[in-house]
Amino acid sequence: MATYLEFIQQNEERDGVRFSWNVWPSSRLEATRMVVPLACLLTPLKERLDLPPVQYEPVLCSRPTCKAVLNPLCQVDYRAKLWACNFCFQRNQFPPAYAGISEVNQPAELVPQFSTIEYIVQVKEPQASPQTPLIFLYIVDTCLEEEDLQALKEFLQMSLSLLPPDALVGLITFGRMVQVHELSCEGISKSYVFRGTKDLTAKQIQDMLGLLRPAVPMQQGRPLQTPEQPVISCRFLQPVHEIDMNLTDLLGELQRDPWQVTQGKRPLHSTGVALSIAVGLLEGTFPNTGARIMLFTGGPPTQGPGMVVGDELKTPIRSWHDIEKDNARFMKKATKHYETLANRSAANGHCIDIYACALDQTGLLEMKCCANLTGGHMVMGDSFNTSLFKQTFQRVFSKGYNGEFRMAFGANLDVKTSRELKIAGAIGPCTSLNAKGPCVSENELGIGGTSQWKICSLDPSTTLAIYFEVVNQHNAPIPQGGRGAVQFVTQYQHSSTQRRIRVTTIARNWADAQTQLQHIEAAFDQEAAAVLMARLGVYRAESEEGPDVLRWLDRQLIRLCQKFGQYNKDDPNSFRLSESFSLYPQFIFHLRRSPFLQVFNNSPDESSYYRHHFARQDLTQSLIMIQPILYAYSFHGPPEPVLLDSSSILPDRILLMDTFFQIVIYLGETIAQWQKAGYQDMPEYENFKHLLQAPLDDAQEILQTRFPMPRYIHTEHGSSQARFLLSKVNPSQTHNNLYAWGQVS
Amino acid sequence: PPSAPADPAAPPPRALGPPPQGSVGASPRAEGRPSAACPEQEECSVSADTVLAPLRAALDACRATVQKQVCNDIGRRLTVLEDAWAQGKLSAPVRKRMSLLVQELQQQHWDAADEIHRSLMVDHVNEVSQWMVGVKRLIAETRDLPTRE
Repeated sequence: MATYLEFIQQNEERDGVRFSWNVWPSSRLEATRMVVPLACLLTPLKERLDLPPVQYEPVLCSRPTCKAVLNPLCQVDYRAKLWACNFCFQRNQFPPAYAGISEVNQPAELVPQFSTIEYIVQVKEPQASPQTPLIFLYIVDTCLEEEDLQALKEFLQMSLSLLPPDALVGLITFGRMVQVHELSCEGISKSYVFRGTKDLTAKQIQDMLGLLRPAVPMQQGRPLQTPEQPVISCRFLQPVHEIDMNLTDLLGELQRDPWQVTQGKRPLHSTGVALSIAVGLLEGTFPNTGARIMLFTGGPPTQGPGMVVGDELKTPIRSWHDIEKDNARFMKKATKHYETLANRSAANGHCIDIYACALDQTGLLEMKCCANLTGGHMVMGDSFNTSLFKQTFQRVFSKGYNGEFRMAFGANLDVKTSRELKIAGAIGPCTSLNAKGPCVSENELGIGGTSQWKICSLDPSTTLAIYFEVVNQHNAPIPQGGRGAVQFVTQYQHSSTQRRIRVTTIARNWADAQTQLQHIEAAFDQEAAAVLMARLGVYRAESEEGPDVLRWLDRQLIRLCQKFGQYNKDDPNSFRLSESFSLYPQFIFHLRRSPFLQVFNNSPDESSYYRHHFARQDLTQSLIMIQPILYAYSFHGPPEPVLLDSSSILPDRILLMDTFFQIVIYLGETIAQWQKAGYQDMPEYENFKHLLQAPLDDAQEILQTRFPMPRYIHTEHGSSQARFLLSKVNPSQTHNNLYAWGQVS
Repeated sequence: PPSAPADPAAPPPRALGPPPQGSVGASPRAEGRPSAACPEQEECSVSADTVLAPLRAALDACRATVQKQVCNDIGRRLTVLEDAWAQGKLSAPVRKRMSLLVQELQQQHWDAADEIHRSLMVDHVNEVSQWMVGVKRLIAETRDLPTRE
């Protein structure tokens, strides 16, 4: 039987979609018996170098409750110029512009290889308001150590050269007080100072900043606008190309928060108020346009709304133990504060990034919703004064192959399904748009109750997990045509501020599970299934007790093995899984031990950080996170991937481990001794020098591109940092069984 | 060959032999990388004037159309650059790349000049942050000047 591996790979490359099942069980009952739900990972803006966008708008089905986009699955009558929607079967007339189409002259969107296609939305003259440029609002903590603040200032100055030149930029600094800086080209710098202890409503903030008065048209080398049209800037958010010199000076002059920190106390970070003011400022000036609120913080919020810990150092910040014992005083209230801000921000299409660098926790647990709901970044480090932070921060502004920024904004994802399927929900960096309709299932998995979600900020790797429900009744006949279909329509704001629409339409065969189980089985995508189950597990872990999630995961694995394994009763050695399932148990094994589900040995902030990244990466990176990749370099042959197992650790090997968050290079005992003896410097042992260099070169490839930049650990046998490797490998060989030669490992 | 198990009562480890000589097998995954040696680390003998003079000339060309305050601001930063250069505070790569930037500017290759400014900001921010924004602005304003022949 042909494997589906190639089919799966081709579909992923073309459409950015991976389904857990590629042949679908045709009834609800059978689908639930499959254990792993019918679901997919979708990368809406997957980088497609061979897909130039078309310069016209999509043709939509005319049924108001449908509005599906014309796609290759639709039946077309070229003579009558009619097309039949494959979702609702409505017959639609082609628009006049399509008068010339025929079988040999098809529009791109009907060609099967364009199952994924991108449209550019034309702005209709003369009502066109000037496209609002992208907005970057920096919120900077000034309660940092001197070197940290100096480094951060320089990196912010650097970032001004990396922003799109017509972008608007703003600055809020905070410590004990919160200062909103008025950016102007005049000599004097002004700022509005707010107390860090008092929360204000959006209206109060806008009033105090003078934003409620009618806007004064400003001379900016642009034709003067009529008073009714919004001014494309305000005193606090100015175009980078006009304000760069002043802002560079302003940043350069930033001082450490002047308020003395007495011994035994923490500095007063008024993060909650600072963020509140930023959200209110943008809400009042530029709602519904792409914007990044970038919070740079060096310590936990210690005063005002959203405070996470008090200012007494003797009271430590909450640990998992505290949370389990219900001993985290500020957690609920702080989380609610940030959740409210996150929802407001998401409603306006603004994303919130958190760049937190400190040796202790900074309150990522309470603030995580800001990044998770809006699609903003979360970067966690020890100090701003590191090349690791600098390089990660640079990559926020990275550009793709075509020289365009990778970041995109204001995405609206709409999913349509053929009538045998409904949508149960999505898990990823998005919020619900509460779009009810015939496609929406009552059973929710993840963010459900909707067929539309909003992703305020995304890039070509952002991936959502979408869960479906088969609703066909048991023993109902397979739908006519034998295939079910799903359409993903993502409207978004490109970094050039152009509005675009990406449409992906896919179809898969239905099969009767009772007579054709082997087809369904062969089309199982174990990698996608593992990641989809993992996202469900991590989603549950946020609200349920840890042990319950592990029990659930174990039960699902057992049920799947019962359904699809071949075995003889009472004979464990007879258990076999077919090739399309054989790796799945391993993935679940490593998932159970992963920091996404095991909080032991991680702080609440660290767990939040790991989970944040897990919930948005594409399949390949997600798998690396679940089951880190291990490569072995030795004299015995070319570099090869090896099992993530203690038996892979040999004295005459170098191992390269990629966990996504760390790159670990581990020298085996003999290799380390050779290196210590200096053989790499002797000309006759040049091949040893190459062997030492090979993993370093391969590590560079990963280090140069990944966001966030991984921590790089170079270690060897016996060194304390070897623990990064030893804690990840399956301990199949331990001091207990090392001598048990007779046992099957 | 299996590794010798660690055992408290084991004999001392065998003397360490040398690594095998000869080919390693197929070459590692990564293709040969460009040499790490950076040509900029050679002795750089660019004089300050070869960089500053064209920049000041470009600034003068802008004075007719660009706001006075902006020109003064750029001029101020060029002076900071000049002082830093004279006091030997700038590293060789920075000096070398500035001379390349100026050449691109003189040939009206605006994007190339802009790229160099960006790369300097990213790679040497602590050396250049004070004055580079002036150069950035100069490139932008010179580019926007009414067309020259």
